[in-house]
Amino acid sequence: MTLTLLDELLLFSGATLLVALFIGRGLAAGWMVTILYGGQLLTLLKMAALGYGGGIIASSLSFTVMGQNLSWRFDALSWFFALITLGSALLSSWFACGAWERSYAKQGGNIWLFHLAMALNVLSMLILLASGDLLSLFIGWELVSWAGFLLMALAGGVATQAAMRYITYAMAGGMAIFGGLALVYSSSGSLQLDAVLIAVESMSTTKLWLLVILFGGGFGVKMGLLPFHLWQAPAYAETPGPGSAFLGAISSRMGLFAILLVLVKLFGIVNIDSLKIPFTLIDARDLLAWIAVFTIIFPTFTAMKQNDARHLLAWHGIGQGGYMLLGVVVADAMGGAGGLLHVFNHATYQAALFMAVTAVIHRTGTADLNKLGGLVVRMPLSFMVLLIGIIGLAGLPPMNGFVSKWLVYRSLLNEGMPLLFLAAVIGTLGTILSVYKLIHNIFLGQLRVEHEQVKEAPWSMMAPMLILAAIIFITGLFPGIPLAWVASVQEVVGLPATDYTLGGVESVSGSLDMIWVIGVLFAGFGIGAVIFYSAGRSKRVHQLDNYAGGHFLSADVRYQYSDNFYAGLMHLVGGWYRGSFLWLEKSVISLIDFLSLVMQGLYRRANAEFYLLSTALFVMAWVVI
Amino acid sequence: MNGALALTIALPLLGAFLLPVLMRVSVAFGVWIGPAILAYGCWILGDLWLTGSMQPFSVALGGFAPPLGINLYADTLALLFALAAQLLGLIFWPFKLDQDSARRQALMLLLVAASTGLALSGDLFNLYVFYELTAVATFGLVAASGTSAAYAATIRYLILSGIGSVLTLFGIALIYGQTGTLNLAHLAQLAPEQLSNELGLAAFLSLLIGIGVKAELFPVNTWVPEVYATASSRLSAFLAGLVSKLALLIILRLLLLVFHQPEAAQVILILGILGVVSGELAAWRAKEMRRMLAFSSIGQLGVLFIAMALPDGQGMLAVLALALHHLVIKSGLFMLADGWGGALQRLRGSAAASPLAAGLFVLFSLSLVGMPPLPGFWAKFTLITELAGQTEPLYLMGLTVFLLATVVEAAYLFRVAAIIYQSAPQERRPDEIPKAGGLSLATAGLFGAGLIATTLLIAPVGDRLQTIAAQAQDVDLYINTVFPATPGASQ
Repeated sequence: MTLTLLDELLLFSGATLLVALFIGRGLAAGWMVTILYGGQLLTLLKMAALGYGGGIIASSLSFTVMGQNLSWRFDALSWFFALITLGSALLSSWFACGAWERSYAKQGGNIWLFHLAMALNVLSMLILLASGDLLSLFIGWELVSWAGFLLMALAGGVATQAAMRYITYAMAGGMAIFGGLALVYSSSGSLQLDAVLIAVESMSTTKLWLLVILFGGGFGVKMGLLPFHLWQAPAYAETPGPGSAFLGAISSRMGLFAILLVLVKLFGIVNIDSLKIPFTLIDARDLLAWIAVFTIIFPTFTAMKQNDARHLLAWHGIGQGGYMLLGVVVADAMGGAGGLLHVFNHATYQAALFMAVTAVIHRTGTADLNKLGGLVVRMPLSFMVLLIGIIGLAGLPPMNGFVSKWLVYRSLLNEGMPLLFLAAVIGTLGTILSVYKLIHNIFLGQLRVEHEQVKEAPWSMMAPMLILAAIIFITGLFPGIPLAWVASVQEVVGLPATDYTLGGVESVSGSLDMIWVIGVLFAGFGIGAVIFYSAGRSKRVHQLDNYAGGHFLSADVRYQYSDNFYAGLMHLVGGWYRGSFLWLEKSVISLIDFLSLVMQGLYRRANAEFYLLSTALFVMAWVVI
Repeated sequence: MNGALALTIALPLLGAFLLPVLMRVSVAFGVWIGPAILAYGCWILGDLWLTGSMQPFSVALGGFAPPLGINLYADTLALLFALAAQLLGLIFWPFKLDQDSARRQALMLLLVAASTGLALSGDLFNLYVFYELTAVATFGLVAASGTSAAYAATIRYLILSGIGSVLTLFGIALIYGQTGTLNLAHLAQLAPEQLSNELGLAAFLSLLIGIGVKAELFPVNTWVPEVYATASSRLSAFLAGLVSKLALLIILRLLLLVFHQPEAAQVILILGILGVVSGELAAWRAKEMRRMLAFSSIGQLGVLFIAMALPDGQGMLAVLALALHHLVIKSGLFMLADGWGGALQRLRGSAAASPLAAGLFVLFSLSLVGMPPLPGFWAKFTLITELAGQTEPLYLMGLTVFLLATVVEAAYLFRVAAIIYQSAPQERRPDEIPKAGGLSLATAGLFGAGLIATTLLIAPVGDRLQTIAAQAQDVDLYINTVFPATPGASQ
């Protein structure tokens, strides 16, 4: 038996897990695991033909249990997501090695468990991405859920509580998928993709609706789609730094992967489009699009309220997921490309942002946006990385986030969906405002006296951050590189493929060439620089000396406050923050609590014989009548 | 060799009556006699299982051919559960030596003999006798723990079980009055003409409620939380793990062979759904490990009843897989609960104190909520695919309830896991943290190892379960085995 490339990849990943498990307590274990991730990435790159539309690579691993065939294989879709997974795993793990690891262990963290959880997450994600039928998809799905639980819970305390909330949501989602699986099986008699594809054609509308709700809801839980989003931000934010970079980059995209595979590829956007909601003008597809849009808006504005940098970023992670789904649901060449490209772009800048914030925590010990400020001179490289990251997150040129968002907007306009477009723009507005809060409160404004001696983050942390920053810029300049992979993914899932060039897209309804855009932008910067430097000498003063503008104030006087940022805006939109989703969640829990009390009362009653006899009488009466 | 089957019941029975006397003569000899008998029983059954041709066979006791004489019926299903009874009897053997040990060991032998009899009996009256014997042995064993709570729980159980027995007897009387026979194979022949009427239904329902007391059927299961919380963990494990399944097996046999009314299945389905809802929800607020496990056991048995209600024995495979899975998991969990009694909040920090036990708890919980690729997932998968294939809306409701209950189950099980893995509170001395250890941990480890082995060997295990289920589903095979076409050829 010869090993296929996919076998090699999975074995490699399994070996990484074993290394983390058995020698993960030793010296330099982190570096060893990181190198192994690099090896996995190389194996994946050997399969690069997949990313350019090169067929399927199957795994030799397949077996039959209770009449069900289980198989695993990689295609362009899996390859694209696996690339992001392994890339973010490699860089997050690299980031964790060395300085961060030592300080984490010093604070009482279990670094062995951390590396183990990371390796487990990567392996389970690869298994999920390789799934060749719906049953292996479900197996992979559950593995990813529980592996994620381990990574989220390992910090203990608040993190464990957040992880508990996550796993309850994830179980609910998982069971919805499980139910959907059973329904699919009952009509197709098999869970193989081709059999399901045929069965979908003859399915009744009711059943299709039910399946769209079950699968959409189930997969949506992991994506953090409204109204199942409450778990995500605390769970990701409280994970130890590099872990949240990894989770924020890729974890919830597994939901999008599954949606692409099941709802888009198997059920088909056309079929979903034909599901009308009675007595209204909208259909299931519009419903998904509007859910996506609300997922953009609400979490983004919630992010603006956060005072913890990690929570702020995690809330954005939910909102950005909305853009991806929106693009995919619009489903024309540009929209699909935008949604899929955003998966890649989001992973790059989200990981960079989480890392930058973790670097700040590493040096200052806090992520509280009200207790930081002025670090730009102390940590200039981290500032640069964060700046590049937030430009990407806000979707502004010249970074990669602009390209994907532009594609999504363009497709909304092309397809005549102005309301959705407007809503998406409102979301972007919120993003820009809140990322400004992020960079301002950490790096700009007044430096705190206690941070005067803060140094730049160590190189073990800086290197992966700089690599990510470079990727963000380069894929912003040449979006054609990832767009090539995206186009093959579109073909695989049955969406129209986009017509891409190195600098962007070619289309009759509007082209984009980032090389030109960035060229013009940098020409502008150049002119600005010429004016700045020709204006004469500037005088350098100590940072703590330059706030007072001539007044005699010592540095320990706070005269620039970052507290209660956007007070005016919050006053304006405050009425919308009623916490209705929290209320919904609480009422479900109270309901279960109440029912549980009733049931316990039922079992606590002493007159058990009465139950027995009355049941007997009741059934007898039922028989006689 | 087939004749030796009767020994698996007779020897433990004999042992049970002789043990108190033998213990007086020689303690050293008396201590080993019980395990020796059970080990021999395991060997007989294991031998039958391995060397037999996998064809069912019937053993007529006392030389009278059925339906006049009584017979033991051994297909792979019955053998499997008989083997489980002997093996679990051995595993949960009350090794502790004190002045009560003779009585406790004798009762345990009695319980195993009765359980084996329940698995193997081929006629209704013997089933009833063994059923009563199980009840008597259980009362004795629960009360043996000696606390006043245990006595109170036993009394409640005794009364409930007594009324249940009367109902069972009433059902049997109805059947006998109608058909004049109690042999299951004979009944299977006569049933389509004589029992597919209201009388038959009434008989079945009184049997269902009567036997349901032991099978933790809602709403006659109110004894469960008290008894499991007060009896010794080993006994709770045996009761929740095995005895409830055997009671279930009787109902399943009756349903398959004798009562084909759709109403019968419907009642089981409704009661099963109510069992799942009540059990899992009650477990959500349970403040103590064993009580939580007891409620969860009620819920799991409810799931089994839902599976059993599938028409024409379609749920056979699901029932079998779920029952065996629950047997392993609950036994293991009760063993862990042995060292982890008391309020759940007390368990903070016990993962650091006993990491293996905590790991096993997580493993069992994961399998119980059905995480693939653990066996629990496959058991649940067989159930939901069958349920989703039904057109009757009540089955789909069963499916929905089952899935929702799993979410609740995961929430409360992992809440406990989170407590276990929390760091211990500062003010507590290390010796105050409950530790799971010794024999119970070893036993739980055994079940854990079995679970992992099954995970790895899931494909062959699945195939074997499918053949067992197919054989048990075959009504004609049952009749032909007990009444061979050419008389006298069976022995």
